[in-house]
Amino acid sequence: MSPTRIVITGMGAVTGFGFEWQSMWQRMLAGEHCIRPWQPEGVEAGTFPVRYAAPVDMGLMPAHLKGHPAWGLSLEKRTRFGWVAATQAIADSGLSTEQLRGAAVLSASGAPAHRLQDMLLSLADNPAQAPSWAQLMARQAQVDPDSSLCQSNDRLARVIADGIGCEGPVINISSACAGASQAIGNAFQMIRRGEVELAIAGGADSVLSLDTMTALYLLGAASSEQRWGTELCRPFDRHRSGLIAGEGGGFVVLETLERALARGATPYAEVLGFGSSLDAYKITAPDPQGRGAVLAMQAALTDAGLKPQQVDLINAHGTSTPLNDAAETLAIKTLFAEREHYRRLLVTANKSQFGHLIAAAGAPEFMLTALACREDRVTPTLNLHDADEQCDLDYCAHQAVKRKVDVALSNSFGFGGLNTSLALGKYREAPR
Amino acid sequence: MKQAVAIAGAGCVLPSGWGVESFWAAANEGRSAITALNARRFSSERVVAFGQIQDQDHQRSRQDLAQNLQRYCTPAVIWGVSAVRQALEEAGLADEQPNVRFGLYCCQGGYTHPSLDSYAELLLGCRQDGVADMAAFAKRILQDRAQDPFLVLKGLSNCLLGVTSLALKLVGECNAYMQGVAGNLAALREATAALQDGRIDAAIVVGAGSELDALALSGLVQAGVISANGSNALLPFDLRGTGGIAGEGAAALVLRRREDLPAGPQACLADMTAHATLDRLSLPDSPTDLLVCSGTGDAHKDRGLCQTLALARASHITSGLAINGILSAAPSLVDLMLARCALQAQSVPPIGGLQQPVANLPFIQGAPHAASLEHCLVLNRDDNGFSAAYQVFYSAKVTQDCR
Repeated sequence: MSPTRIVITGMGAVTGFGFEWQSMWQRMLAGEHCIRPWQPEGVEAGTFPVRYAAPVDMGLMPAHLKGHPAWGLSLEKRTRFGWVAATQAIADSGLSTEQLRGAAVLSASGAPAHRLQDMLLSLADNPAQAPSWAQLMARQAQVDPDSSLCQSNDRLARVIADGIGCEGPVINISSACAGASQAIGNAFQMIRRGEVELAIAGGADSVLSLDTMTALYLLGAASSEQRWGTELCRPFDRHRSGLIAGEGGGFVVLETLERALARGATPYAEVLGFGSSLDAYKITAPDPQGRGAVLAMQAALTDAGLKPQQVDLINAHGTSTPLNDAAETLAIKTLFAEREHYRRLLVTANKSQFGHLIAAAGAPEFMLTALACREDRVTPTLNLHDADEQCDLDYCAHQAVKRKVDVALSNSFGFGGLNTSLALGKYREAPR
Repeated sequence: MKQAVAIAGAGCVLPSGWGVESFWAAANEGRSAITALNARRFSSERVVAFGQIQDQDHQRSRQDLAQNLQRYCTPAVIWGVSAVRQALEEAGLADEQPNVRFGLYCCQGGYTHPSLDSYAELLLGCRQDGVADMAAFAKRILQDRAQDPFLVLKGLSNCLLGVTSLALKLVGECNAYMQGVAGNLAALREATAALQDGRIDAAIVVGAGSELDALALSGLVQAGVISANGSNALLPFDLRGTGGIAGEGAAALVLRRREDLPAGPQACLADMTAHATLDRLSLPDSPTDLLVCSGTGDAHKDRGLCQTLALARASHITSGLAINGILSAAPSLVDLMLARCALQAQSVPPIGGLQQPVANLPFIQGAPHAASLEHCLVLNRDDNGFSAAYQVFYSAKVTQDCR
């Protein structure tokens, strides 16, 4: 029996570019970015060391989304973005409510970003004296109901499932910056195992709050560089200095090819394989040899039954951090060493255009990889003016590239030394 | 035909103590490890009891993790690593195993932001007339570096995964979940599938979490998971039960293909089914020897649950809930551990404290009950109504068929 083929039939994205994937795709092909000056809410302008981010601009919200239930419920910002993205993906797929009933929902939403005022409400006025339960409960009522402190981590998965009347598995993935990729990979595996025929998978996140951005800054992950202005996200460049946070969400609809064709859907691309691995190196830094990244990409290719020589494009994790970009490049050169295939590969880093969406990052990057397979066009890596000597691949610098993309990998790596890679292919009627 | 997957090792750090033996002893004695709630940052006259890890068990767990890694960890992550080491020890995999491909599947509790304790002094120093002074906060953390630099790591929802992989030098496939029953089910399904597909040779499934902070507990009260009526007893399936009591801790299982284990009886995982609503959960057609179901501690809810339990046509029913309280991160893992212990001992422990059953079902009361046990069903339900059922069979044979 031939293995079940799984395809992408719906996509939805909320990023700094707007509230749907179509404008994101067009603007990214045009070489635009959505990184702009940013300071945390409530902090005097110019005093916070992290000066740039890629926030979602609510002013870009189209009229038809203004009545979305996400804006009417008590939800965290990231949950709203995720729910809107999932709704867009479902609408894009053309699936009916009845067809969605047995779907699985898999989402990742990262660590919560708390508001200081809400946290203060949970503490005693006098540090030496513990507040009573009644006092706490009275204060609990004052906590902003949209606050992360009032929401469980699986809220996004639940609201999507409830919103579509889904009776299938509802799974909340929590694997940091690889979260959305892991959600998509797990959805792919569940469909292939026959547990479900259909899944809505992705993630949403926002770390644009004072306490979370401070933590990322203190860890040395977030860039506080100022000399490049809004062009400071420069993956693989000699002057890269850290991640630039974005926010938003992305979801895809995955289903069996058989089911998609039976209902007349047109696949964007085919999902071919998934791999994950652990670095076991450091919790805050990738293995400089990129061994974990090699394992994840190799596992995805093995899972897909592909050889490295068949890969045309790698959508890199490409964070613009000094450690990641060098290690990821070395990993690519290691895995694709045979006949120096790495010299024929295209590599791109979407974070140069919409920042690092943390737990959600893998979802829009997966979509852009699927679109590259469909359209044979690859979005550029921006701001790569002076490549690091350790970073010597073809990164599609500055401009979109038009080239045939039959097979691609989408990489996402996370804090804690977790690596994932998804293998995608151009959809064609005959199996590979 | 899929290969059978066996539970080759188990470990835990629970309110009942460090290790499976402590847990099993407490279960057999019907002894509850729930004690008076002891929280540094708040006092409560309404939520007064908690299943808390004892300090000596925490200290013992710390011995299982290098000092330089402990700075990244909440206590729950330390318990998780310790539980994994115990499970690997029992599975004969404690030493370095270059020829064994491991997979690591982790579940953290629903509220894993580090306790506000770690923020408290800092926050209080940044308060002006009861509201947050953001500028003062920014100054403290940026200029004075008053914030724990590892707070973001402690708050990571995959902290357990990262630290466990570092502690054990695991580089294989992995996943991390944050969701009670559904997370445990997803982790067990992925682990089992990876073994059956031949991608890995041993799967480590671990869950760890704690809700010992005011906001987490109040969230559980609001969700109706625990009671706020001043009760200090957790009585599953008892007419006197007035609601749940939260607990904390960690549990780990090591799974292997049955055929890779030596001859002799093994507890094997068979079907895993789930549904968004309990009454549509698919249960096995044939009667089962033992049903393990936590229950809720709320007599009304447990009576409703009994309608489903009756469908399982079990010869014996037990619950471990009264021992440790409601565990957010490892509910299914602990119940599977209890089922495995019962199969190995051919004995069913009593439901702690049960005197007035909510239904006329074969609940075990008072003392352990010796029985011939081959098939076991574990049934879990979370506060959202999501339910999962696991079939466990005890087999001396190396069977290829996991049904």
